[in-house]
Amino acid sequence: MLPAEPGVRIIAEHVSLRANAVISYRSFSVSHTLRRLVLLALIPIVWGCGSSSSEGSGEDGAASSLEIAVVPKGTTHEFWKAIHAGAEKAAAEFGVEVIWQGPQKEDDRQLQIQVVQNLISRGVDAIVLAPLDSRSMARPVEAAVARGIPVVVIDSGLESDAQSSFIASNNYEGGRIGGQYLAESIGGKGKVVLLRYQEGSASTTNRERGFLDALNEYAPDAELLIDNMYAGATMAKALQVSQNILNRFPEIDAIFTPNESATQGMLRALETSGRAGDVMLVGFDVNQILLDAMRDGTLHGLVVQDPVGMGYEGVKAAVAIVEGETIPERMDTRTILVTPFNIDDPEIQELLHPDFDRWLDN
Amino acid sequence: MTKKRDYKAMLSELGPFIGLIFVFVLFAALTPSAFTSFYNIKTILTQSVIIGIAAYGTTFIIVSEGIDLSVGSQIALTTVIVAAVLNLPASDPGLFYPLLALAAGVLACTGVGAFNGFIITKFRIVPFIVTLGSMQIVRGVAKWIGKEQTVPTPDNWLTNLMLIDPSPSWLIFGPGVWLTLVLLIVSAVLLKYTVLGRYTFAIGSNEQTARLCGIKVDRMKIVIYALGGLLTGVAGVMQYSYLTVGDPTTAVGLELDIIAAVVIGGGSLSGGEGSVVGSIVGALIMAVLRNGSNMLGLPNYVQEIIIGSIIVGAVLIDQQKHRLRAAG
Repeated sequence: MLPAEPGVRIIAEHVSLRANAVISYRSFSVSHTLRRLVLLALIPIVWGCGSSSSEGSGEDGAASSLEIAVVPKGTTHEFWKAIHAGAEKAAAEFGVEVIWQGPQKEDDRQLQIQVVQNLISRGVDAIVLAPLDSRSMARPVEAAVARGIPVVVIDSGLESDAQSSFIASNNYEGGRIGGQYLAESIGGKGKVVLLRYQEGSASTTNRERGFLDALNEYAPDAELLIDNMYAGATMAKALQVSQNILNRFPEIDAIFTPNESATQGMLRALETSGRAGDVMLVGFDVNQILLDAMRDGTLHGLVVQDPVGMGYEGVKAAVAIVEGETIPERMDTRTILVTPFNIDDPEIQELLHPDFDRWLDN
Repeated sequence: MTKKRDYKAMLSELGPFIGLIFVFVLFAALTPSAFTSFYNIKTILTQSVIIGIAAYGTTFIIVSEGIDLSVGSQIALTTVIVAAVLNLPASDPGLFYPLLALAAGVLACTGVGAFNGFIITKFRIVPFIVTLGSMQIVRGVAKWIGKEQTVPTPDNWLTNLMLIDPSPSWLIFGPGVWLTLVLLIVSAVLLKYTVLGRYTFAIGSNEQTARLCGIKVDRMKIVIYALGGLLTGVAGVMQYSYLTVGDPTTAVGLELDIIAAVVIGGGSLSGGEGSVVGSIVGALIMAVLRNGSNMLGLPNYVQEIIIGSIIVGAVLIDQQKHRLRAAG
């Protein structure tokens, strides 16, 4: 069980946890006096925020440009930062404003619904959304479209016909690439573990399916020890589940994990049990810790997506729709296998280390 | 002397209202016209429904000098039970199954509330600990019923309750908002003008005295916690309507938002004080702050700091009230 059910924590801290739609956007359309009033009111509360607000207020001339809201599933993973960078890249190219808002935790359906509702109220020109639940986000998206705000869905599917386009990695194919690499690396046989991510998340379910299909194809003799455990939304939960799996199976040859937090949780569990490096680990998505682990030899493969490309294409498509162009209903972005053998290739390096500083402030 | 005291007491009673008007006017002045648009008002009201309805129940509990930390888990349990019942029929759930689902969800939470009250009174364990335990138990049961997953449901009329634009448009507000209003009146009358309400205040003000006055304190407490559970169950049905799926991991920590709403609205954790109207105003203040901060594009840490400050501010006002009373 999770000891993390927060009961005893301080009220204020908790309330604030739910308060956070994370926001960064550039132009306030309020007068200078009012803006100054806000700053005056806020400076005694928090010094640092004053400077960031005034810095973010930008040119008044930009007020007439399109406002494209980009709503990620969460904001704590590097992946979303890259989506943000791609979105800002497109914003600079097409001369639009990007409003970046999302829930902090990737299982907070309610907060994501509220963010979309508030954006509808705000009257943005289009919404680019990575839905964290394929069903519960359908209603808000339909509400947006009903009020004339087109929605482009990125990253994860949505069970609705309302959205204008769906732009995502080919997750099934990504799972297959990882599965084939894992199967061939263990010589087509051995004990394999699949740690799933979370039910209701379409993208990771497809990766898991692709992985299993490839495993069947390239390693029909491999023994799948377990494929019905879920890592959950946070790394802390993934770590606990992973530790339990490792305790349960003393002999494992290879493990596949379908997203960043699951991969990191499993990696940490392997480290804490002293088995890192002995068990082959192939993950999905990337952050610096995972890349360091690959250099240390404790992580053997990562299927990476092109989130910068996804953010870029999402905003580009949204702008196109607002300007009356028709765009395809479905667009794929890349998935690529990174291994210790190709990690230093220039193409891979560019994918792994997007130039955040160029597109994102602070 | 008395006049001055009355004036001050009235000011502190009106505190939450003044706070709500203040934040609303503040954001109306600062944000683009979108904030004061009718659609946005409807959005804010809809976003206050779940915390508001649950806060009615928590108001009774807090006035009786109790606390219920299992509210968030109860809401999750309700969404899962509602989803499970809706999946019973093979075909379209029609009119009947959503009603059954609603009843089952509300009944389950009433049961949890009665259970909390029973353990608290029977074994003389402080409510904080009992409900800390039931928070985990109920969360676990929700995950068990939901098989540790979100439970998808067929299309049914329950999912229309929390629409911002209701489907017969003459309703103006979604059914959830109307229900919040009706329950506001019912709960306020119940707390202020009935024996149940009087006893609740009596127990919260001084339990020993209440006992000596012949109030069956234990039985009353069970009723109070069960009533809290009942209203939490209604909030849970609204949460289901909002999400359109049963989600055993939803509303983690929501009880603290709800307690905050009650406290901002003038409820005292030392019992004997609080009002249902104040609690809904507290819920509205938080909803306005969040919505307005989103509109204004304030970074999330500013929202956190502001809401935290308001909670502390509300408690300061509460203390001030006590001082005034002691002085008078």
